[in-house]
Amino acid sequence: MYDVLIVGSGHSGGMAAATLTALGVRCLMLNAGPVADLERDRVNKSAHELPYRGFGKPGLHPHIFQANEYNANTWVDENEVPYTHPADASYNWVRVRLLGGRSLFWARQSFRLSDFEFRAADHDGFGENWPIRHNDLAPFYSRVEAQFKVVGRKEGWPQFPDGNFVEGGAGQADSECQQRITAAANKMGIGVSRMRAAMGDGGLASSVNLSLPQAVASGKLDVLPNAVVRQITTDPNTGRANGVIFLDRHTRQERRAKARVVVLAAGTLESTRLLLLSKLANSSGVLGRYLTDQQYGCTVVASMPEARDGKANPKLIGGGLFIPRFRNLRKDEKRNFIRGYALPLNTGSSPDPKYFPEYGEALQKKLASYAGSCVTGGIYGDVLPRYENHVRLNPNQTDAWGIPTLHIEARYGDNERNLCKDAADTMEELYKAAGLEVIVKSDKVNPPGYSIHELGTCRMGADPKKSVLNQWNQSHDVKNLFVVDGSSFATAGWQNPTMTILALSMRASEYLAAELAKGNL
Amino acid sequence: MPIPRRRFVLALGTVSTSPVVFAQGPAPLSAPRIVPVAPDQAAEPVLQFFTPTQFATLRHAASLLQPAYSNLPGAVEAAAPEFLDFLLAVSPAPRQALYRGGLDHLTSQAKLLFKKDFAALTAPEADQILKPLIVPWTFDPPADLHERFLTDLRADLRTATTNSAPYAAAAATTSRRGRGRTGAGLYWLPIDPTRR
Repeated sequence: MYDVLIVGSGHSGGMAAATLTALGVRCLMLNAGPVADLERDRVNKSAHELPYRGFGKPGLHPHIFQANEYNANTWVDENEVPYTHPADASYNWVRVRLLGGRSLFWARQSFRLSDFEFRAADHDGFGENWPIRHNDLAPFYSRVEAQFKVVGRKEGWPQFPDGNFVEGGAGQADSECQQRITAAANKMGIGVSRMRAAMGDGGLASSVNLSLPQAVASGKLDVLPNAVVRQITTDPNTGRANGVIFLDRHTRQERRAKARVVVLAAGTLESTRLLLLSKLANSSGVLGRYLTDQQYGCTVVASMPEARDGKANPKLIGGGLFIPRFRNLRKDEKRNFIRGYALPLNTGSSPDPKYFPEYGEALQKKLASYAGSCVTGGIYGDVLPRYENHVRLNPNQTDAWGIPTLHIEARYGDNERNLCKDAADTMEELYKAAGLEVIVKSDKVNPPGYSIHELGTCRMGADPKKSVLNQWNQSHDVKNLFVVDGSSFATAGWQNPTMTILALSMRASEYLAAELAKGNL
Repeated sequence: MPIPRRRFVLALGTVSTSPVVFAQGPAPLSAPRIVPVAPDQAAEPVLQFFTPTQFATLRHAASLLQPAYSNLPGAVEAAAPEFLDFLLAVSPAPRQALYRGGLDHLTSQAKLLFKKDFAALTAPEADQILKPLIVPWTFDPPADLHERFLTDLRADLRTATTNSAPYAAAAATTSRRGRGRTGAGLYWLPIDPTRR
């Protein structure tokens, strides 16, 4: 029997494995998909060498807007693991079942949550606080940032906590375009920083190259791919988890794996699906509830007139800017939305042809003129965690292994729409103040799930009647059951959640190992 | 003369018990490396989706929407219409209907305004039909199906052109700024697909 059974191998599972095995805990990791060989399974190709010239097989991934013919083989096939949503509320559930999961593909943007998120209810009265504060997680953030080699610029802003950054964040001097946007933002009372990102190793910051190698090297981790878990098993006498039942992905043969502790790290909705299938950890009745994520899609694109017609150069234009949350930092700020958003800006790009209502030679000339002169801006917007946004099992549909699927019901509300409109208006004002010509402006967002940052449904909290997990990512109901992925989030924030998921997994795993050593689990 | 099966099996058994031979493994093969020719180089596609009239309309629209420019091939030279005929043949029904309806609309407008097929229009004549259908970009696709068709067609022709072999060959001899974006990247092969 193993000490700990870890379901899932992405960032959260990889960190749990690395942390636990370093403390001498013997683990078995189950992953639903195969192991990719990053040398053998990827090849450089021109689009014309692909069967569909880069378009991809039509209709293959209808909910994955990020899919293209190059990466089409990495996403979960909806025919294999389907899900449903209301006809009027589309949801983009983007999944990867390769060993390493979505950690193989994330954009590496690395932020900490602040107490504006951890104590959000104290600040604006909506929802519940987390049972922890930034200070509780700060030491773990620091260790994760060092391991993932996060670069960034320290600002000392409370809504944008500084990290344990490695050298290498300082780039070349700001271009004139960057300076003009920064000056215009500062006049509007908005602070401008730089993107914070994990350098990882060789451009990859995944569990397969940063967490799992050390766990495997310890001799304390066994990794079993192609294991589709369908149920967490419990001891009928104690109610404690004692293992899982899984199916071989290819043969469908069922097996039972036993362990003293079960850690779920299958990704937000898969972990919750497994708890619902197992009828566990739901004395609160909120399992599956408070599904949230971050809204992406609001777009404002401008052009710097001085950089057109071949005059763009690194001194004039180029480089990124990052504007962390600046709205509703004061309790007395009166707006038609609560919480906030961040604005990632990029300067020196070329416009997408779709932005110009022209064709033929006129369009070609326009594109040539605007090449390199553009500034693009988007939004990382907070989404409120609402009870009605939820997932539940669908008794009428099963996946390729006969396991009931999820029905996902999530809608954005007025708060998200108003927040997005404010972001678009702010970017437009900012661009104009910086002397740029606005080409397109949209305050519309993609469907929920698009950001691939689904969070909540198994949230942590101080009150067992209102939450599924305690402050250690431990089930209130089943003490030897932990959930260490994004499902534990009580609020989403505007920040890419990866650093927080990693820090929470590390913290929970150290607590788990200590409790195991004391004989409490 | 073929070896009788029983003697062949016995011979295999003899070889397999020899540790020296077993350790040597199979003799290396010396088959020549064959570089296959691309289908586009060897043969022309057979049209399978559009009617002859629809295809003629598509080809003429392609020549106007995505013409050759700055030593780079246009949609016609890149065989983008032929490729779209294949792509639409394997596309979901709503997209097929959008394309068929859109092309038929161009034809009917040409007949209404100029009493001839769209494919026979001069560029200024075709502009009178195409320009009103090219609308400013919005996040959501245009609600009007004909506007939506032309929005999609313009984008699809561009992608099918810049991702074609003729475009890649021409771009290789053109400056980076001049060629714009060409399709290339890291392709993930199928990884142990689930056996059913």
